[in-house]
Amino acid sequence: MDALTLPGTLDSLTAIREFVGEMGENAGLDRKALYRLKLAVDEIATNIVTHGYEAAGLQGEIVISSRLAPEALTIQLEDTSQEYNPLGLEKPDTLDKPIGERPIGGLGVFLAVRGVDEFRYEHVNGRNLHTFTVKIPSSQSQSS
Amino acid sequence: MAFDAVLKMTPAGVAIITLSGELDASVADNFRSEIQKATNQGARRLVLMVKDLSYMASAGLRVLIFAKQKMGSNVDLYVVEPQEAIREVITMTGFTQSVIILDEYNAAEIESV
Repeated sequence: MDALTLPGTLDSLTAIREFVGEMGENAGLDRKALYRLKLAVDEIATNIVTHGYEAAGLQGEIVISSRLAPEALTIQLEDTSQEYNPLGLEKPDTLDKPIGERPIGGLGVFLAVRGVDEFRYEHVNGRNLHTFTVKIPSSQSQSS
Repeated sequence: MAFDAVLKMTPAGVAIITLSGELDASVADNFRSEIQKATNQGARRLVLMVKDLSYMASAGLRVLIFAKQKMGSNVDLYVVEPQEAIREVITMTGFTQSVIILDEYNAAEIESV
């Protein structure tokens, strides 16, 4: 398992995407799947920083870790910010509206959930755990 | 690659903003302030040159919403030469009905307001 501990600030987003990029390449993800995974993790990390830490007046870290199994790559974000379950926000019902008439928000979670094969949120011992799983191409008959 | 946003106004009031690098939540304000500058200068159309934009998070999409709300929904918003992954995000989020995607810069169409 690989892991990296970063400050819970927006300046950490680049390092988070680089970590995901490296892990995804090691796992053999194609370009498209890797982009979606990077986007998914980046969107949730952004929410952790802006909603979980900054808006709540808290400070802390984000731990990103990766686990590679024969059939799947799993990336996990762990933080001690305010309990924040993104699920339930993931389907903005305004996608068919012209963008000038849309409320701002919900898009990031939508992209995160749509970008991976499985997204899970848990709150354990005061820590938020966001887990992203993508199937590895060799274990699928057809990669989408 | 570091993010950059550069605004150029044509005499006819077309705001052309060239974006490059990775657009995430940490740099979205730079993009937003270029939009603000363009609207302050009375932009009548917004053109985003994005060939060298390699990544865009939802923070970038939110700036597009901001632009549309700021400039009025009748102002055309062009996105020129998006990379495949960015085009996919624009499509997936339903932004295709609010922006005009062009595969190449078309001066005749873009610069005549």
